[in-house]
Parts: sequence; structure tokens; C-alpha cells
Amino acid sequence: MKLKVYADRLSQPVRAVIIFCEVNGIDYEEIKVDLANREHLTPEFAEINPMQQLPAIVHGSFKLFESHAILIYLASSFPGVADHWYPADVYKRSKIHSVLDWHHSNLRCGPITIVQNSILAPVFRSPLNPEAVAEGEKILSAALSKTESFWLDDNRPFLLGQNQPSIADLILVCDIMQVKLVGETDWNRLLGPYKKVQQWIENTRNATNPHFDELHKVLKELKEKLQN
Amino acid sequence: MKLKLYADRMSQPVRAVIIFCKKNGIDFEEIRVDIAKRQHLTTEYAEINPMKQLPAIVDGRFKLFESHAILVYLASSFPGVADHWYPADVFKRSKIHSVLDWHHSNLRRGPTTIVRNTVLAPVLGRPLNPEAAAEGEKFLSASLSKIESIWLKGNGRFLLGGNQPSIADLSLVCDIMQLELLGETERNRFLGPYKEVQQWIENTRNATNPHFDEVHKILMKAREKLQNLRLKGANNEGGESDMKRTLHSRI
Repeated sequence: MKLKVYADRLSQPVRAVIIFCEVNGIDYEEIKVDLANREHLTPEFAEINPMQQLPAIVHGSFKLFESHAILIYLASSFPGVADHWYPADVYKRSKIHSVLDWHHSNLRCGPITIVQNSILAPVFRSPLNPEAVAEGEKILSAALSKTESFWLDDNRPFLLGQNQPSIADLILVCDIMQVKLVGETDWNRLLGPYKKVQQWIENTRNATNPHFDELHKVLKELKEKLQN
Repeated sequence: MKLKLYADRMSQPVRAVIIFCKKNGIDFEEIRVDIAKRQHLTTEYAEINPMKQLPAIVDGRFKLFESHAILVYLASSFPGVADHWYPADVFKRSKIHSVLDWHHSNLRRGPTTIVRNTVLAPVLGRPLNPEAAAEGEKFLSASLSKIESIWLKGNGRFLLGGNQPSIADLSLVCDIMQLELLGETERNRFLGPYKEVQQWIENTRNATNPHFDEVHKILMKAREKLQNLRLKGANNEGGESDMKRTLHSRI
């Protein structure tokens, strides 16, 4: 009854789930569902996830989608997952829920809007849209600003003043990493004002390497392919 | 050390939290933060919730915002909350998380976008924006369709085939209730095609009454005021500032 993860590593929440599995020694089978080839829109995949989005998991007869729900399920169900990922303490856990919820309506919309309307537009056969990119940049900046000033404590390496990463760190950092697709110059421009955020990204990367770098290779490869 | 709930009952997630507390006998002090008067944007309120949104709670020294996180916290921390609201069973619980997450990116963007850009625009000091409202309508229809065909699949009276409500039912139904502000004709236009959804709203209401109706009174009052002022506005020019004045004093 191996866990099945329906995945396209181009998707930020997919990467968060896979990195989590790798770091925690959760045995899984990665089943590729190619977004660029619209495989997520097939009736076969609709049987797995009727919302036709990634990631989705199947564990025995249990199906689940939405990455936050998946991470919570994995943290709660697999032995050997260290407490800091999803603490048993109700106060710490509730704060993690509040970041994850805030993320949906704030940070999540930023990187995705930027890349889908610029570099990834041809991949998904949609037009370039500089106004949408500008909107996405505003959303991203506002979210990074809140992360810098509120979610990140001055003296602690991870969100919510924690010394160890939680599922919230993984989700948010994987989302921000999508901005790498637009190139180093824009990455530096957008992230430049936020020193704590930059350090936190590095902390999360270090805490989950070599898996973090391995999973994010796909972004580098895609960027090179699109530039050529 | 009573639970403090920072609230404006015009806000859907606020109503979900209040109904949950009342239904489960959770003692709380409701502290009014008037959105129309922009009290959520004050520096005082930022001490409670730096994101300047409602609801927020303070439980002793513990502060929390985001309504889903609050509902999960309350279900997990207060004795006497029946299991069906947030089941201990990891499979049921995970499914509830998936609805709540889906909600953020889907249904949540529907009713609120429509009303803020139409009937509530003058009250909130915003311009009318029919394009934004149309976007909201798209989200709403797509979401209601998904609720009808996916989340309400099966023989249960509630989401995910449940026979008892969960925090997900409360959160989503309170959001849909915001459509009441548009008046019955518009509300029926949106909900008309979805029989399962209509039944589910009724089931949720029955399962949480009298609190559901009591907490939603504010919407019904606001709807009446808005209708009267629209009629008045149709008869003379003074409509908009009248509307703002009256709603500020009554909501």
C-alpha cells in the first residue's frame, strides 16, 4: 500500500509534498501528470482528483487533494515525522494553520500570476500579459513585506519564531522559488528588499537539502529550455 | 479569562465563528470592530491582528486570526465540542481540510466580490465595479457547481457525505449567505440551478438554529435597508449619502 503522489514538479505545492516525503523517509511512488500536456484535464485524472489539480495522493483507498491537507495528513499518519513539521501543541499548530490559510489569499497568488503571464505563457498557450505580471508583482511584494515584518522573527530561522521548519515553511518557500523562472535579475529585484526572507529561504533549503535542490532542478532546466 | 472575539457580523467568517461558539456553548465576549467605519484599519486593532482582518480571537495571551484556523483551534481546545465538527479520525479530518483549503481559492472569491462591488460599494466607500462583480459571479457559479456535483456527492445531508455538520459546512454556508444582501431575486438566480446546495444550506441552518438565524439577522436588516434606499434613490437624488448614513447607524 505504497503512497502514490500525482505530480508535476513544475507545480510549487507538488514540490513541497515531495520534499516533505523525501526528508521524512516516506516511501512513495511519483506518478507524473504533465501540466503542459494538459494531462491533469483528462477524465482518468478526474477519477483521482475531480478538481483536476496537482498534487493529489492516493493511499490505499484514500484519496486526497489540496497540498496543505496532504501535508497535514502525511505528518499525522506516518511514523517518524518529527514534531516540528506539524506540532502536536495546539497553539503552535493553530499558528501554522493561520499561516497556511493566509498564504492562500496572499502569497500564493503572487509568483503564479507573474510566471503564468510571462515566461510560462507559451508553455500553457496563453498570451503574454504585462499588466497581470505587474499585478502579480504587487501581490508578491505585499506578501513578502508581511512575511518579513510579521511572520519572521528577528532571531529565529523559520516562520512563527521557530527553530525548526514546519510544513508552512516548505509550502511558502516552494511558492516563492517559482519566481526563479523569471531569472536572477528579476529575482534579486523582487526579493532584494527582504533580507530576513532571503535568509529564511536559505535556511529552509539547508534544512531540506539535498532534496530541495534536487526538486528545484526542474525550474533551472525549464528556464534554460525556454531561453533557447 | 473569557475568550475574546473581534467581530463584525457583516463578515461571513465572523458569523461562522460566532455560530460555532454559540452552538457549542463556548463562552465568549464579542468585541465589535466596525468594518464600514474602518475600525479594522486602526493601529489599536493592528495590535490584535496585524493583517487587519476579521475575525480574530484572543484567548488569554494567545492571539489567532484566519477563521479556519480559529475554528480548528476552538474545536480542538474547548471541551464538549462534538466530534463531528472536526473529527479525530485522520481521514475525515483531512477531507475537511481539503474542503476548507479549496474554499479559499474558490467559493470564498464569489459572494464577497459580488456584494463589495455592487450593493455594499457605497457603504464601503468604493466605486461600483460591474466587471469585478462579473468575475465574482463566475467564481460563484463554478464553485456552486463543484459543491453540487462533488462535495455534496453521496447520501449525506452535509459536505463529504456527512450526516452531521462540520466546520467546513459552517464556513461555506455562511459565505453563501452573503448573497442575501443582493435580494431574493438575485439570490434565487444564483442558487436556483443547485437543488442539493439549497437543501444543504437549509440542513446547516436547521442544525445550528436558533443561532444561525440570530447571527444572520444583521444581513436581513441590511438587505431591507439597502432595498429601501435603492427605491428612495430611484425616486430622488439623495440616495447614496442617505444609504451610508443609515447603514452606519443601523448595522
